[in-house]
Amino acid sequence: MIGIFSFQSTLDIMGLAQRLNDETTVFLLNGDEQAINQAGKYGASKVINIECGSICDPAALYQAISSDLSNAKYLIFPATKDGKTIAAYIAGKLGIPNVVDIVDVMGPGKFSKYSMGNRGAEEVEVDGMAALVVQPKRFQPSEKPTQPSIEKRIAKPIIGLVGKEEKPKGSLKIEDAELIVSVGRGFKKQDDLKIAFELAEVLGAQVGCSRPIAADLKWLSEDHWVGLSGHKVRPKMYMAIGISGQPQHIAGMLESRIVVAVNSDKNAPIFQYADYGVVEDLYKFVPILKEKLRKALGK
Amino acid sequence: MNIVVLVKPALDTSNLRTAANKIMIEDTPLKISDIDRNAAEEAIRIKEKTKSGKTIAVMISKYPPTAKRAGEVENLGREVLAMGIDEAIVVVDDGLIGTDQTATAKTISEVLKRKIGQFDLIIGGEATIDGYSSQVPARVAAELGIPVVTYVREITQLGNDNITVKRDLEDEVQVINTKLPAVITVTREINTPRIPPLLQIRMAMKKPLTKLSLTDLGLSIQSKIKTTSLKPLQIQRKKIIIESGTVEEKADKLIQYLAQEGILTPR
Repeated sequence: MIGIFSFQSTLDIMGLAQRLNDETTVFLLNGDEQAINQAGKYGASKVINIECGSICDPAALYQAISSDLSNAKYLIFPATKDGKTIAAYIAGKLGIPNVVDIVDVMGPGKFSKYSMGNRGAEEVEVDGMAALVVQPKRFQPSEKPTQPSIEKRIAKPIIGLVGKEEKPKGSLKIEDAELIVSVGRGFKKQDDLKIAFELAEVLGAQVGCSRPIAADLKWLSEDHWVGLSGHKVRPKMYMAIGISGQPQHIAGMLESRIVVAVNSDKNAPIFQYADYGVVEDLYKFVPILKEKLRKALGK
Repeated sequence: MNIVVLVKPALDTSNLRTAANKIMIEDTPLKISDIDRNAAEEAIRIKEKTKSGKTIAVMISKYPPTAKRAGEVENLGREVLAMGIDEAIVVVDDGLIGTDQTATAKTISEVLKRKIGQFDLIIGGEATIDGYSSQVPARVAAELGIPVVTYVREITQLGNDNITVKRDLEDEVQVINTKLPAVITVTREINTPRIPPLLQIRMAMKKPLTKLSLTDLGLSIQSKIKTTSLKPLQIQRKKIIIESGTVEEKADKLIQYLAQEGILTPR
């Protein structure tokens, strides 16, 4: 049996279960009817819907489902912050290894992944039951409709949620963007980002950013943040403007097909990771590039 | 209040040594995993405020060669002691080489049970710079059967038997209260780690640093996962630099390249 632990929003991780080709039980967190249907659409033979209240406490969750795991071979979790935490706790309780950020399945019990802060490509082999953590977009599931049996559990949290602040957020899904124009500390003030947005508009691109822009300065909401702790992207083109190229940022855009870098510092590390590097002051270059593109693309 | 900080002697991945399509782990230097400095800083700040109890760093050495790493890890231990941590416990043992996070968490838990005893709060970083799996702190909580709260960007209240924190997720910030003892992991945004002055670095030489082996902890480890291949990730980039000419010429050149790549289709 393969166990999937997921909210509805990350059920795409069922694509990995399809690759591993075994009977699948979905441990659905706070699911509704629509979520149950989606699990059925991707081939779940059983859905255990877990009411975990306003916060999915890993300890309570483990207690609620520990007796359902006896014949599990793999447990699959999404590579989200909640997903990784739950995966670590449950793998810890079971004393099983956990392969985080799987890139590919190489054979029975064999997986490839990135390691060393995405500077290494590693292959691992697990002996027995294992937890697997995967980016939701890594293995796209196909439709294999089933009529799953449905059970219910309750996981009453031990830790208490006393408040919640919604983050400012648009409808941006940077992972889905084909073209990305990404901004970094080379921009001197928030207002200046406007030239990058104008360029993105001409290109039909989305705007991404490095950690300081989202997490420290808060010039953009975190749905724009590309990096190891932010979003991992694989666009057709990634244009890094005023981004120096810290390892944690590179790790988030490594798999882009074409990388363009614009930076005034010829020695910026970003140029080592770029197909095309433009050494120029972004304040001069970006408006001119935008105008030329507007003409070339007939917009 | 006794606070334990999980500090990883991590591979310095920005100085990764490679040769002939191999990662030379044995030749790559170690450093304190960046976010663990934030964890240590937070512990020191709590102690400065409460003026009671002690702060203890626990460090598990995971990389070969063991003999060389023992000294390196001790030096990293002195670094956190210089920041203001009171005491460090390091575990160095051949039996930990090539093991996974299950082993790390087990070892830490045994250090806690056998050598530390009473503790109120365990602080780790949200992720390490080398593994980046965010596994160990939550696994320690699982081993000890205590609550875990990850991705803490602020401690808003700390009582004798409970803590309130802001937990920073993708779409929302949760305010969470839990009883102590508990494990929390912190994000980089929680503070700016101090850089110790020279005097403190000298004083750190006198602070207690204990070295342990797995035998001292009554542990023998068997790993259920092994690495079968580890290579430098090579995504070949063309590295074409456009630096000569006017700004206009550079823009034209870039557009020409992007058209060749099929990214743009000029009219």
